[in-house]
Amino acid sequence: MERDVEQLHAALNAVKILRSNVGYVFESVSNGLRADHGEDGKDAKFVTELQVLLTTVNNNLRDVENAVSNLTSPPGAFNLGNTTYLSQETTQERQALYGQLVNSYKWTDKIREYSAVAGHILQTNSISKTYKTFSMTKRRKTQTSIHNVPPDVIENHISAIDRLFTDMTITTSRPFVLNPIIQVSLGRVLKAIIAFKGLMIEWVVIKAHAESNDIWTESRYRVFQKVTENSHAAMCHFYAPTMPELGVRSFMHWLHSYITLFSSPCKKCANHLHSNLPPTWRDLRTLEPYHEECK
Amino acid sequence: MGVTVLQQFPIVEQRTGPSTIELLTKRIVALGATQQGQFLVDCETYSSVPQLGAQKTVHVLHNSEQPATVFSILETGSKTIPLITDGLFDLLMMKMSNFYQSKKQTKVESKGPRFEIGDFSVKLGSVAVSQNFKGILVEVEYRPCIVPAMCWDLIREFLQGFLGSSVSSTPPPYLQNKMQEVYTPNDTIQQYLEHFTVYRKSHFKM
Amino acid sequence: MHDGGKATRVIGIRSAEQVLTKNMTTPDSAKDSLTSALNSNIIPNREYLLQGSVVDQYVEVLLHRLRGLCDNVDDGAETFYDHEMCFSLCMNSSGNPLVFPLRVRRALDAQDAPYQLRYIGQQELGDKNRPTIVRSSIDVACSASIVEFLQELGCRLDFEYTARGYMFRKGRMKITVSKICKCGGGNKPGENIELISQSYLVELSVLAPSGYDAIAEDMRVFAEQLKPLVHLEKIDYKRL
Repeated sequence: MERDVEQLHAALNAVKILRSNVGYVFESVSNGLRADHGEDGKDAKFVTELQVLLTTVNNNLRDVENAVSNLTSPPGAFNLGNTTYLSQETTQERQALYGQLVNSYKWTDKIREYSAVAGHILQTNSISKTYKTFSMTKRRKTQTSIHNVPPDVIENHISAIDRLFTDMTITTSRPFVLNPIIQVSLGRVLKAIIAFKGLMIEWVVIKAHAESNDIWTESRYRVFQKVTENSHAAMCHFYAPTMPELGVRSFMHWLHSYITLFSSPCKKCANHLHSNLPPTWRDLRTLEPYHEECK
Repeated sequence: MGVTVLQQFPIVEQRTGPSTIELLTKRIVALGATQQGQFLVDCETYSSVPQLGAQKTVHVLHNSEQPATVFSILETGSKTIPLITDGLFDLLMMKMSNFYQSKKQTKVESKGPRFEIGDFSVKLGSVAVSQNFKGILVEVEYRPCIVPAMCWDLIREFLQGFLGSSVSSTPPPYLQNKMQEVYTPNDTIQQYLEHFTVYRKSHFKM
Repeated sequence: MHDGGKATRVIGIRSAEQVLTKNMTTPDSAKDSLTSALNSNIIPNREYLLQGSVVDQYVEVLLHRLRGLCDNVDDGAETFYDHEMCFSLCMNSSGNPLVFPLRVRRALDAQDAPYQLRYIGQQELGDKNRPTIVRSSIDVACSASIVEFLQELGCRLDFEYTARGYMFRKGRMKITVSKICKCGGGNKPGENIELISQSYLVELSVLAPSGYDAIAEDMRVFAEQLKPLVHLEKIDYKRL
């Protein structure tokens, strides 16, 4: 410990000497030629003086470097000792320290608990949108991307789906260069506005026919808001990066089952209404209508 | 404008009109409805003077749901012609008083509280023919749907939920011809006129 | 002119307040609000009118001048192509024939626009020095079933015509320059067009509630600016 302190002192000293000599250099350069340089040979004397000063600075720099290399960096955090208390409020009662500490402890505890449970649940469902290849050999080969698909391929798919159902009509608009936003009118029941990214469905909003075609405003009616939520779940469920056309087609099949939104009763409770809503859920495999609470 | 269905609610012997409205209000509020003000639908009738030939009647109706509109229905013996106009049409009818005269005694109106529950709008109206109370008329509108055929069963279930067994199992006669067409506010007015005519005729019974 | 406009606006606001504070719980019946509006004189039921005509050769010059004077000419003048049908309800009551005239006007170039039903009353006989014709007029927008409605009501179709031309606006004034043609009857008024004359009809009109006679003076001043191309004056219909 003592040796360290000594070496620290030596290093600090060396830095001090270096600083003062550098100061001298700048001072003499700024003063330029002085009276005590004499009459003859002023320039030569000035230059030699400058050279002497610069060599001293060089030596000092070398000393500083040697001193610093002898120092060892301190292990871990500094023990500030009593100096830590300088930054703190002296009266403990003015701070609500204890209460805040307790709250933040409770909060962090709850966060840990919830995130553990959520992590556990999410792990069991493999709905992750990132497509990972797990084999080493395939890493060199470029993955078949469903995002960079030429626009006419998308057009063909959309028109194929259009022809699939007679009571479902599709109109396409392209406000964002390549990615289409399609409006699907399902009979006279509802209309869905679907935004694509390449061949993947990115966002769905379901509204009544009379409402605007804006993809960012939600529907005014509770029933369509519920159907929009359900369609987001279906969108994730039908996501198939290996067979994107099949995914979109299955999603459209599922959406088409909503043509009976108002007319068919729930399969489980055989009623039309449950908490004033018709059956807004369509089973993902069987396409049967269920209420939100009955599924 | 969603599909709207009107339903008469029979008044039990022991109760009066306002108390029946109170009972229905309690029921609907228990289901979770919130009151959203009042509504008023009224109808005035003008009939042609004899010098114009065959008897023709013009019913002029207003609905507080569409406050800037006047609905008129012309009934000759054989035809019924609906007309939808701006508010100043009333002024025009007043100017035509030499040709079509208004029968003040047959002014019918239905007014009362208006509730909203989920996507439904419910109106509990007390019908009065020239200030005499005649009955209770309940109007239910299911806003998201515009084709009657699709949601008739749904509306019927809702009506049964708080009106009980008095709900008929067939759609109203006016709607039966229009089940597959898109619903318009004019259809609501025609249903009101149907009911008002029945109430006017019952004038003589009471 | 501006004072007249401000006055109507102030009166309009005041009476709306009266209507609102009257009954917040039950909605006013339409009849009640109409009568209160009539009493506070906010319904525009008078038309102030000046008419004139200009020969075909000089109509371009007139349009040029109007484009310089008027407000709504950002993308060229607004054109219109309308078909007007004039009905009248006639009745013989105790020897005096009563006639109630009604006009139905529809736009042939805008299929979605509603039909306009118009009642135009007799010219008000007043001050001989009044610069314009003043007559009562009620304008109501209506659905397409109006024609059948009027026919079943007992009205008879007197005549019909099509008008094609330009519409200009300056403040509250509306100026139309139009060519009147006879039309082929029935549902195809666009065919078999016969021109009635070699000139365009120019009309300057303002719709206002009764009592705003200052507007007539403004109209006369504006008409002065269109002389000598067209002389807009009040036409005595009885002398025609």
